[in-house]
Amino acid sequence: MRRVGPFLLEPRLAAPRYVVFGVSIFAVVIALLAAVPVFVGYGLNPWQAYAAIGRGVFGSWPSFSEVIRRAIPLILCGVGLTLAFRAQFWNIGAEGQILAGAVAASGVALFLPVPDGLRLPLMFLTGFGAGAIWGLIPVLLRVKFGVNDVISTLMLNYVMSYIVEWLVHGPWKGPTMRGFAYTDAFPLSARLSYLPNTRVHWLTLALGVALAVFVAFLLARTRTGYEIRVVGQNPDAARYAGINFAAVLSLVMLISGGLAGLAGVGEVAGIHWRLRSPSHISMNYGYTAIIVAWLARGSPIAAIFTALLFGLIFAAGDYMKTTLSLPFQITGVFNGLVLFFLISFDILMLWRVRLARKEKIWAGQTGS
Amino acid sequence: MKRILAVVVTVVALGALAFSAEKIKAGFIYVGPIGDYGWTHAHDLARRIVDEKYDWLETVYVESVPEGEVETYIDQLVRQGCNVIFTTSFGFMDGTLAAAQRYPNVIFAHASGFKRNPNMATYMADFYQVYYLNGLMAGALTKTGKIGYVGAFPIPEVKRHLNAFTIGVREVNPNAEVHVRWIYEWFNPAAAKEATEALIAEGCDVFAFTEDSPTVVQVAAEKGLPSFGHYSPMYDFAPDYVVSGQIVHWEKIYEDFLLKVHNGVYTTKNLAHVDYWWLLSQGAVEVGAKPGMVINPKYEAALKNFVLNHPVFGRISVYDLVFTRLNQMADPGITFDPFQGPIYDRKGRLVVPEGMWMSYDSLITLEWAVVGVVGPWPGEP
Amino acid sequence: MGWANWLISTVSRALAFGVPLLWGTLGEIYAERSGVVNLGVEGMMILGAFMAFAITQQTGHPGLGLVCAALIGGLAALLHAFVTITLRANQYVSGLALSMFGLGLAGLLGRGWEGKPLGKPLPTLAIPGLSQIPVLGPMLFQDQTILTYLGIVFAVILWALLFHTRWGIAIRSVGENPATADSLGINVTRVRYLCVVFGGLLAGVGGGYLSVAYRPSWTEGMSAGMGWIVIALTIFASWDPVQAIWGAFFFGVLYHLSYRLQAFLAPELLKLMPYLFAIVVLAVSGFGRARWRQRAPGALGLPYVRGER
Repeated sequence: MRRVGPFLLEPRLAAPRYVVFGVSIFAVVIALLAAVPVFVGYGLNPWQAYAAIGRGVFGSWPSFSEVIRRAIPLILCGVGLTLAFRAQFWNIGAEGQILAGAVAASGVALFLPVPDGLRLPLMFLTGFGAGAIWGLIPVLLRVKFGVNDVISTLMLNYVMSYIVEWLVHGPWKGPTMRGFAYTDAFPLSARLSYLPNTRVHWLTLALGVALAVFVAFLLARTRTGYEIRVVGQNPDAARYAGINFAAVLSLVMLISGGLAGLAGVGEVAGIHWRLRSPSHISMNYGYTAIIVAWLARGSPIAAIFTALLFGLIFAAGDYMKTTLSLPFQITGVFNGLVLFFLISFDILMLWRVRLARKEKIWAGQTGS
Repeated sequence: MKRILAVVVTVVALGALAFSAEKIKAGFIYVGPIGDYGWTHAHDLARRIVDEKYDWLETVYVESVPEGEVETYIDQLVRQGCNVIFTTSFGFMDGTLAAAQRYPNVIFAHASGFKRNPNMATYMADFYQVYYLNGLMAGALTKTGKIGYVGAFPIPEVKRHLNAFTIGVREVNPNAEVHVRWIYEWFNPAAAKEATEALIAEGCDVFAFTEDSPTVVQVAAEKGLPSFGHYSPMYDFAPDYVVSGQIVHWEKIYEDFLLKVHNGVYTTKNLAHVDYWWLLSQGAVEVGAKPGMVINPKYEAALKNFVLNHPVFGRISVYDLVFTRLNQMADPGITFDPFQGPIYDRKGRLVVPEGMWMSYDSLITLEWAVVGVVGPWPGEP
Repeated sequence: MGWANWLISTVSRALAFGVPLLWGTLGEIYAERSGVVNLGVEGMMILGAFMAFAITQQTGHPGLGLVCAALIGGLAALLHAFVTITLRANQYVSGLALSMFGLGLAGLLGRGWEGKPLGKPLPTLAIPGLSQIPVLGPMLFQDQTILTYLGIVFAVILWALLFHTRWGIAIRSVGENPATADSLGINVTRVRYLCVVFGGLLAGVGGGYLSVAYRPSWTEGMSAGMGWIVIALTIFASWDPVQAIWGAFFFGVLYHLSYRLQAFLAPELLKLMPYLFAIVVLAVSGFGRARWRQRAPGALGLPYVRGER
């Protein structure tokens, strides 16, 4: 226990949910305050700016729907990453797994002669499969060859990105694109439909939410989930308990990579309707999802909401760029600030704060 | 004098108009950051010039817009009251078209694409003639007979430029080769640097490129080798080594287009066939190390001393040849085109028959490599 | 002389391209050896790149520019240190935040600086005598800036410091087992702060090299992912400063060859080679030898709380 002014700080192991939630909100508010000088520096009244952003993002259903649309790939990737991080597998590779899914879906959309009704389901299936395969390679590398997962997943992102580049410049270049590096547009049967007046491809959204629930159930209520948690928390104990390390990691990355692959399917079938330059498809969603998963503290359900938070930040950033004519880098600065504050206030969650009553202070226990 | 007079007249005319006509709010959507010193930088420079020039015009811009997001940004610009929107990347094409159909009362113009609508025009300022002129000079300046070209992506636009450049080179120096390296990025200084170094190691001693930074110019200059600037004026980065280059003037197109919108010539009903393909003769592109300097004075002597026996002009120095060709192409009644048949590709096929010029469509879909190009050529037919 | 040309250009280019990677990796090795992962290298490098350019442009002294680049890198690292060491926040997330923040901030500050040439870049040295040796001279002793040699010398010094001095033992024990180090009277917090900030200083120099030497000018986003390669190289080098030299050099070779070999192989596929090779080499070297897990600092990524465990 520790005394700070009139308060007593008491360590605790796990913070109750309302504290986690409250602290997170508090951090976002502080970050908003910290960004004030940036607005002032650009000659804007920060309060008016925030009000404008608020009106811009929440003002109408079409504009608010952008928050949801931007959150879709983040939900899918984020849920997958919470699972990977629970098993202490550092999957930095969602970016590449998104692209793998996009490639598979594009292949099915453009070249596979299947009945129209089967096309989209098949795209989702192959997309899941491709993401899963791209996610399983690092598991193989780690289990068989001892290759660090941070490196292998990171490097595989670059590899997949160049594979996409090769496809759109080479074998898959669309005959109707006049030589530009894009595939042809998908047939109508390979395009996802939107909620009215939006670009929200609801099928992917529904998949994301359903799979979040499934992963949450898997983690909390099944023997497999128990094994995943043990592998993550205490690999040695896992070994003693006879848990098959390789099998558990494989399952985890099958799901994690597969979900990212689904996100890729959603992007090409919902937004682009073609395969194009990789960075315009994956859009750093895979990297952002790392933060989404981390902020969700390993909870797949919470990842839905943290994904929405980042959807909101992206949409607000879009709005700042156009309406307030702020340079685009401001989104990066702002995201960085939000993150710094969010994690900095984590420490609050580990302490219970109470008003001190004099007789309760033990000098002996005030060590740091 | 004539030009000054023309400007004065225009200004006066505009002043008169400004009272009568409505205000225009134009939105510009860029694919890259305006700090790239290439494509986006040039568009933004042009935006500021027109913004300054017309007092009935207000402009806004959005930079670094991913290709799939263009519709979102168009929505926002329209909500903000923009009535003219320019989208400046090929990848924005389908999104712009969809938005044009959704907002029939807004005028759209899309750079470098080929899809149009009654309220959506297309425009492009192309460099191929300028590359050809640069090629003439490069052919005269190489000592090793190998000229290096760092290309961004192997797409028709870059291939067209590379071919025009090579045609220029071989017109002066029939045995010279143009060695090409691809970096697969519009902007990546480190990649451009290593590609240039690789070309230097292969013996190339003159450089041209397509990448949005002055890297190639700087690297060549370090080794004391001449080069040609690309997109923005690059003379200042290596005053002793930038021979000439390609400079774009998007403002010429923007001025013309916006004025016509302002005057009611262009409406939301009649743009389906409006396609700007502006070249030297319209002033949308310029050959030079910096504006007004066609050839760096440091290289004038070398180019004047390089005299060849030209099939059309007889004995002529490269210096004179450059200006002769420039005049032929800058003249409104263009009397010369670099892609003038017969042209054979490097696989020996006749791609442009004797006496023919290439059509606009075949120019913008060009995939072959002309004789003299050495190196990988993805998508070669 | 075909082979000599290939050898000369490959080695000399690999050295030049490897410099920012080497500096960044050396710094990250020290941070990680003390137990703190800093994924903010990309952010620190780009801040360094901008700072070095702006200062050199204003003063005409590239040396001063590099010093300022180091300082801003160190300052950025200090932020990471405070958040992760004092506030014990998650190191991975803090690093990602630092990268985003750094890229954004450098972009904001750098607006208006792009497209300006640098009058006085860091000069390349032709070492008298040595540069005249055939093959070896042009390969190693021409076309390099002082930072190439300084980086290599530094790597060796840092290696000696880490493995053969009491300071090195202190750093490694803090990274291996902070509780034990603490009980031996080592100030864990101070060691970690110093190592992380030191890492930032070196990353800043690596970034500065890009804008005052490698290609003297400023452009938005010019670090182009090098910070992430540094993270990989740190593991690649098994947290050993001397191996970092080989790692940076190896990456430089692959990068150069991916352009050199374009005449013979498909360029798109060549471009992915460096990344694929990094994995393959790790797999081959890890196979049958000590696994990376055993080589990694034991407490890597974990905050230290006195009295725990």
